[in-house]
Amino acid sequence: MPDLKDLAAEIDRCSQCNFCLAACPVYREDRLESSGARGRINLVKAALLDQTLPVSGRVRELIDRCLLCTNCVQTCPASIRVDDIVAAARANLPNRNPAERMLLRRLLDRRAVSGVVGSLLKGLNLFNLPSLANPPLQQRLPAAVRPDGPVSARVAYFVGCGVNYLYPDTGEALVKVFSANGVEVVIPAGQQCCGLPALARGDKEMAREAVRANAALFAPLDVDAVVTDCTSCGYMLKVQVTALLPPDDPALPAAQAVAGRIVEATEFLAALGLQRQPRTQAVTVTYHVPCHRHWSAALADAPPKIAALVPGARFVPLREPRRCCGAGGAFFLSHRELSASIRGPKIEDIVATGAQVVLTQCPACRYFLQEGLGTESGVRVMHPLAFLAGGC
Amino acid sequence: MPPISGLYRDLAGLLDRRRVLTGREDLLAYANDATPARVLPAAVVVPVDGAEIAAVLRYADRRCIPVVPRGAGTSLSGGATPLPGSIVLDLKRLDRIVEIDKANLMAVVECGVVTQRFQAAVEDVGLFYPPDPQSLSVCTMGGNVATRAGGPRGVKYGTTKDYVLGLEAVLPDGSLTGYGGKSVKMSSGYDLARLLTGSEGTLAVITRIMARLLPLPPARQTMLAIFPELDPAAQCVADLMAEGAGPCALELLDRVLVNCIEDFLHMGLPREVEALLLIEVDGYPAQVERDSRLIEDLCRRYGSREVTVAADAKEAESLWRARRALLPAVSLRAPTVLTEDATVPRSRVPEMVRAIRRIARANQVEVGVCGHAGDGNLHPAILADRRDPELMGRVARTVAEIGREALKLGGTLSGEHGIGTHKAAYLEWEFGPPGVELMRRIKKAFDPNGIMNPGKIFTDG
Repeated sequence: MPDLKDLAAEIDRCSQCNFCLAACPVYREDRLESSGARGRINLVKAALLDQTLPVSGRVRELIDRCLLCTNCVQTCPASIRVDDIVAAARANLPNRNPAERMLLRRLLDRRAVSGVVGSLLKGLNLFNLPSLANPPLQQRLPAAVRPDGPVSARVAYFVGCGVNYLYPDTGEALVKVFSANGVEVVIPAGQQCCGLPALARGDKEMAREAVRANAALFAPLDVDAVVTDCTSCGYMLKVQVTALLPPDDPALPAAQAVAGRIVEATEFLAALGLQRQPRTQAVTVTYHVPCHRHWSAALADAPPKIAALVPGARFVPLREPRRCCGAGGAFFLSHRELSASIRGPKIEDIVATGAQVVLTQCPACRYFLQEGLGTESGVRVMHPLAFLAGGC
Repeated sequence: MPPISGLYRDLAGLLDRRRVLTGREDLLAYANDATPARVLPAAVVVPVDGAEIAAVLRYADRRCIPVVPRGAGTSLSGGATPLPGSIVLDLKRLDRIVEIDKANLMAVVECGVVTQRFQAAVEDVGLFYPPDPQSLSVCTMGGNVATRAGGPRGVKYGTTKDYVLGLEAVLPDGSLTGYGGKSVKMSSGYDLARLLTGSEGTLAVITRIMARLLPLPPARQTMLAIFPELDPAAQCVADLMAEGAGPCALELLDRVLVNCIEDFLHMGLPREVEALLLIEVDGYPAQVERDSRLIEDLCRRYGSREVTVAADAKEAESLWRARRALLPAVSLRAPTVLTEDATVPRSRVPEMVRAIRRIARANQVEVGVCGHAGDGNLHPAILADRRDPELMGRVARTVAEIGREALKLGGTLSGEHGIGTHKAAYLEWEFGPPGVELMRRIKKAFDPNGIMNPGKIFTDG
C-alpha cells in the first residue's frame, strides 16, 4: 500500500469532529455522511489500510466521488490533508483506466501533445469543450517580453495546461498587462504540466516527473517571482511539490526554491499596483473564488481590487463567492450530473448580481461556469487579467 | 448482531429507497460521533418529514428495533453512537426555517437546521439566537435541543434550554406530540418541552422547535487578560460577575493549553502564566464601554500582567484565534482528545482546576484545562490514544474522578454535552438511585418498548 501507509498517521490525526461536513459540496448534494470527508477518510482506512471492508464498487464510487476541492481541508481545525488521502487511495485502487492514463501522460509531456491527444480531446467535444489552441500558447509566446519603459520587476511565467491548450487569451493578457505595467515576463521553453491532474488520479510517479522537469527549468532563473495565472497550478507548485518529492530526491532543493517564489499573477499585480490607468469599461463585474485558494491569503482579495481599478466597472460580490462551482478540474467530465447540480446555485448567484463579466482565476471553473451560463446569456467568464487587458 | 431479515425491504417500503442505507460502505460513515467508539448500525434512514419519521418509528417499535436519532454526529458524549442492530435516523434533511416571527421574538425551525445558518438568518433581521456550541457551523438545532448544548455565551445568555418556547416531537408509537408555541408565558400542564429538551433522543424524536429570540446587541468588545496566578484570576471572575459587568463570554485557558496553542500558532502568548482570560461584553455602546472599563480595572487590580482590549472587530477576531485554535492545537499533541464538561458553581472553579490537575497526575494522564470560567463549565481536554487500551482505561478513570469531584463541589456531571454513553455509569452519583429510578419511569411512559436510543443516559437502556 505505497503512499497511503505514509498517510495512515494523517488519518489517525482526525479528531472526528465532523466540522468538514458543512464544507463538502458533494455532501450538500448527496446529503449522506458517506459523501463527506470524515466518512470518506474512515472508509479509506477501513477498506484500504485495515482491510476490514472489501473494495466494492460502492467503495470505489465513494472514493471517486470527491472533487479534491480542499474545502474540507480549509475547514478542518487540524488541516487534515483529505485531498492527499483520497488521491493516495485512488492510486491504490487497481484497474485504472488505461486510456485515461495515456491521455494524462501525453498531456504531461507537452511535446507529445499532437494528433492523438488532439483527437481524444476532440472526442470530448460532446461536452462542448472549446477547440484546442493551435498552436498551444507556449509555442506562440516569445522567450521574454520586456516593457517599453523602465523595468520594475522581472517574473517567470508558468504556463498551465488549461491556458496553454484552451484559454491562451489569459496568457496573452498576462503578458500584455504585465509588460504595460513595467514587469518583464520570461517564458522558459519546454515547460510541463504542473502535475496536479496526475496526482489527482493517484499517479504520483508521473506527477514527480513533471515536478522535477519544471523545477530544473525554473530554479536557475534570475527572477523576482514565478507567476501562475491558475490557482490549481499554484496549489501544486507552492504546496504539493515539496511533499510529493521524497526527502532524498536530488530535485527537491530546486523544487523548494521554485515553490518559495510562486505567486498568483493577479495577486502579484494587485500588490505591485498599476502604472497606467486602464480604459473605461462600463460593465457589472463579479468574482468566483476558486476552491484552490488556501495557498495564498491575498489571492482571493486581488480580483475585486483589480476590478476596482477599472473606471466604469461596477463590482457586485456574489452572495457566496467561495461556494464550489462543481468543476473540480476534470471531475465534471466523469460526474456530469453531480457537477451540474453543484453548479446550479452558483449560476443563480451569478445571475442575481446582474453581472456581465465573471472573473475567476481557474480555467476549469471558467469553462464549467461558462457552459452553465450559456453563450446566449451574454455573461462572459474570464480571468481577472484578461478583463484588465481589455481596458489596457 | 445477525442481520435483521427483510429490514431493507421493509424500510424501502416506508421511504424512498435512495434514502435507506444498509451497505457497510455507507453505514461506516454513521458508525461514530466525535467520540472514539465505532459501531455499525443495521440501517440508516434519511427522512424528509415528520410522517416518514413516524412511519419508521412505528415499524421499529413493533419489532423492538433500537432507533438512534442523529443530527450532525458531533456528540462529545457518545449520544449519537449507534447500537448494534439499530436504525439510525439521519435528521439533517428536515432543514426548513419555517418562520421568523419578529413581533413575537421567536422562530419556528425544523430539527435539521444548522445552528449557524439559523443564527445568520435571524441576525439578518436584527434578531439574536445566542447559543453558540463550538460545532455551530455543522451541528443541528435538534441536536442542540436534545443535549441542551451551550457555548461561550452561556455565561450571560444561558444555553439552548433557555431558548425553547415549544417543541413538536414524534413518539415511538408514531404519534405526534407538541407542547408550547408562541406564548412567552405558559403555566399549563407538565412542561413537556422542557422534559424533551436534553432527553438525548431517549424519549421521542424532536422534529420542530419554537425558539425564543432576542434583539441583536448592537455593540461588542473583546479583551484578553493574562494572570500569573490562578486564584486571583478566579477571584476576578467572581467579582466582575458580582459587580454586574455581565460579560457574554469569559473563557479560561490554563498553562498547559496556552503552551499548546503557542506551539501551534506562535502568536507570542507568554508561556509562564497560570491563567489566560478571554472576555467579551456586548450590549448598547455606552454599556459596553462601561463594562469593558470595569473589567479592565478589575483584571489589573487582581494582578493581571497584561490586558489587551481589541481596537476593532479584526483585532477581536485575532484575540479569539487563540481560543479557536485550541482544538487543532491539542489534537496535534495526541491522536484522541476527550473533551470533558463537568461543571461547578463559578466560585469553585479554582478548586476544581486544582482537583483536575491532581486527578491527572494520579492517573498519569495529560490534561489541559480550559472552559467557560464565567459559568463554571470547565472543559478539561484529556490527551488519549484510542489504540492504547491501557491508557484508555486510565482515561476512563480520570473522567469518572473528575465527575465525582464536580459533584462534591456542588456541580454537575455535564454542563452542555449530555450524559450519552460516557457518563451513564455515573448518573446515580448525581441523582441517587431514587432519582434515576424516577427518570427511568418517565422514559418508560414515553417509550414502553425501550427503542429510543437505548444505552444513553442510562447504562442498560
